[in-house]
Amino acid sequence: MANPSPNVQAALATLRDRWGGAAPRWGGEVLGALAVASRPIPEDEVRPTGRPAIAPFPADERAIPTGFRALDAILGLGGLPRTATTALQGDGTSGKTTLGLRAVAQVQAAGGIAAYLDLARSLDPVEAAARGVALEWLVVLTPDTLEEALSMAAMLLQDRTVDLLLLDLPPLTGDRAGLSAAALGERLHRLAALARRAEVQLLVLEPPNLPAPITGALAQIAALRLELSRRAWIRLGRDVVGQRTEVRVSRDRYGPPGRATEVRIMYADGGPRDACLARDELLGEMAPGSGPRVAVPPPGAAHFGTAPPGGLRPVAGPSAVRPSPSPPKLALPVPADATSPSLLAPPSHSPGPRPVLRTLRGGADRAGRHAVDEWAGPGRQQVGAGAGGSAGHAARRSPPAGAGGAIPRP
Amino acid sequence: MPLGAAHRLAPEARFLDPNPEADGAALEAALDRLAGFSPGVAAEADPTAPGFGRAEVQLDGLERLWGPEPLIASRIGDALAEVLPGPPLAGIGGTRFAAAVAASLAGKAGGTAGAATGAATTGAGRVRLHVVEPGADADFLALLPAATLSRDPEVRARLDRFGLRRIGQVAELPLSAVVARFGAEGEWIHARARGLETEPFRPRRAPERMALALPIEPPVADIEALRFVLHRLAATFGDQLVGRGAAAGRARLTLELDGTFVPGETPPALVIDQRLPEPTSEGLAVERLLLARIEASPPPALVVRLELELGDVAPAAGTQLTLFTPQTGRTGRLGWQLARLGIRFGEHRIGWMEIGDPEAPLAEQRWSWRRPVGSGGVAAPDRERRR
Amino acid sequence: MTRLLREHPPIDAELDSSGDLVAFRWNGRREPVEVCNRWRVEESWWNQPIARDYFKVAGPRWLALIYLDRVDGSWHLERLYD
Repeated sequence: MANPSPNVQAALATLRDRWGGAAPRWGGEVLGALAVASRPIPEDEVRPTGRPAIAPFPADERAIPTGFRALDAILGLGGLPRTATTALQGDGTSGKTTLGLRAVAQVQAAGGIAAYLDLARSLDPVEAAARGVALEWLVVLTPDTLEEALSMAAMLLQDRTVDLLLLDLPPLTGDRAGLSAAALGERLHRLAALARRAEVQLLVLEPPNLPAPITGALAQIAALRLELSRRAWIRLGRDVVGQRTEVRVSRDRYGPPGRATEVRIMYADGGPRDACLARDELLGEMAPGSGPRVAVPPPGAAHFGTAPPGGLRPVAGPSAVRPSPSPPKLALPVPADATSPSLLAPPSHSPGPRPVLRTLRGGADRAGRHAVDEWAGPGRQQVGAGAGGSAGHAARRSPPAGAGGAIPRP
Repeated sequence: MPLGAAHRLAPEARFLDPNPEADGAALEAALDRLAGFSPGVAAEADPTAPGFGRAEVQLDGLERLWGPEPLIASRIGDALAEVLPGPPLAGIGGTRFAAAVAASLAGKAGGTAGAATGAATTGAGRVRLHVVEPGADADFLALLPAATLSRDPEVRARLDRFGLRRIGQVAELPLSAVVARFGAEGEWIHARARGLETEPFRPRRAPERMALALPIEPPVADIEALRFVLHRLAATFGDQLVGRGAAAGRARLTLELDGTFVPGETPPALVIDQRLPEPTSEGLAVERLLLARIEASPPPALVVRLELELGDVAPAAGTQLTLFTPQTGRTGRLGWQLARLGIRFGEHRIGWMEIGDPEAPLAEQRWSWRRPVGSGGVAAPDRERRR
Repeated sequence: MTRLLREHPPIDAELDSSGDLVAFRWNGRREPVEVCNRWRVEESWWNQPIARDYFKVAGPRWLALIYLDRVDGSWHLERLYD
């Protein structure tokens, strides 16, 4: 195919300056058109949608930003390398999944297609979509064993039809492995080499306690390896609504290793309460696993009925929540380090901060909906209105997972 | 003229009663034979129509199967010898018009510049053949009478009036001049004169059925050997589709089996129905997908014949400028790859997650899977098909 | 964000003398937890009744969502925060 004329080249260059990776590219003919990409927004602006903005951090072109400025700042490339392997290590609730899926969203926002090797069988599409992942550009493969996963990945890489391959490793018991650990380690090496040649980004979510040959292989193939460990829970009243995680660069081909930083990951579950997450004064911390159980909940917080011995007895009446006067209304932004919440109550001016420490019925599972409306006080209206605010985000592509709204559906 | 007068002029001539039915049947038989050579066959089958008796065969890609063009013509001649009363006149050219003109000249002594003349004879069959060299259509036509360009007496008269005696003279004129003198028709005449195709090839069978088969001797079960044969079939189709500006949406591969030495119940044929991830004219893409299916369910016996049929053939959509997201332009290739992955690893291993009702009370009710087109399906042994 | 364990693996729940949840056992490992939120889901009582008590629990390793299936009394792990 002929090279583009100088005019076309100039036009493409201008578009590239403006839109970065979302601009059309020359691949023998112009490929694609402009993505509806969010422009980079300043950090103190509230993000109305779950899609990650193209981060303002001056990341190298060879990297995609993580979405956490503090983290990008300690990475040699200013982000995760586009054409090499990154390993995210972390035990339990450490944030590696959040980080991994955020990377997926970033790649997609830049015009890429991602593939998810769902060996752990735990990808939640609603969560992913709420966090900015475009499901139509996420191919999900569900291999049975790690061996099968590597074969599928190899086939995908040969044709170069995806830009990012995320390998979600579960803690491997024998039946999920397939081949021997040594053979798998060898296959991982080959996969990483294939990915490099194909210039496809490989991202591995690495749980602890993998067989030694596999961790060994990952240590060798990863151009960037990050260790995530949770330092504290972040609480809103009694509820845990986030965590503070330390990210340590244990290996970085592009910069000095050993640097570490902290990120805050907030678990926005969709609902008016999410607005509380932005208010630091409402949040408390607790080192994980420590502290006595609070016997008397603070006013306004959830009241948990106790059950007699022999098991939990269904608590009569509404078990947890008292109707609240109104959900908090804020004008404060969500902290830059927060995971983009699935839903943000639209900011509005409030007469003054209200210390409403109410844990709503409904957690991340949106289980707050009940088949039967148990009470309808003025508080309910407010909850509905708060949730309704989200429905006004017409720009959202995937419908927000709303809260409240207890309309039974047959 | 009256029959008696004709007798006197040519005493040795044989005079036959017109029998349109027999003529029609003969042509149909001929067309069936031709269909065995090429999936692109067109003809005027109505015995009362003026164009009756002329058949067109699309040769694109066939050299893979039947050899160089003159050899193809000779083999066609052999095949037709059984059903036609005499040797047909044949012409091969780059456009339908040039080929038709070449056919009308076949057998006449002497050649014209730019053309190869020759009579291809073989065995009992004989075809009188006139071949226009590839790319030489304009040269071939140049010295021929301009009147050939149109059947319309008006146009012919006008050509004569303007002193255009040869096709080449028309071709030399600028298009605007020809259009000025002949109107819209002029554009058409001009293109014809210059050796450009003006009429799309319309195969006679509708809906479009493109089928080609090759016997395999000796019979094989080896995947590589099957791939070799499949490749020729698929590539031929690709050329034909490209030549027609069409694309196929479905493929059916029939592996006819030799059940002689296999105990138990072997079906006579293995039929693989494959939906294509997107309409295509790329033979290679179809080939790879079908091979993945064969690898997933290898034939239980030796294969004696391979037939490839393409369906859902329609004019190819123009390449569309992909709007709104850069990813959209790559879904084509991705679709094919995912179809292959699905065939190899199982349909339920690949897909996209789609959110249905995000407010459904239980998490598992909120979403569902969407599978790639063409990733599923099992080869169906077909007991009914037997040639 | 959370991982949704599609098969909702069964777990063993450990309750103290007052009947409160103090730990759960999954894949052979015991995870002492604190309940930080709970709620109830009831659906489709006219069809296939769903009745679950959900517990958001925090432990040394995990922040997780488990539930008691009140229809058959079994405990399951539904989500892990990560």
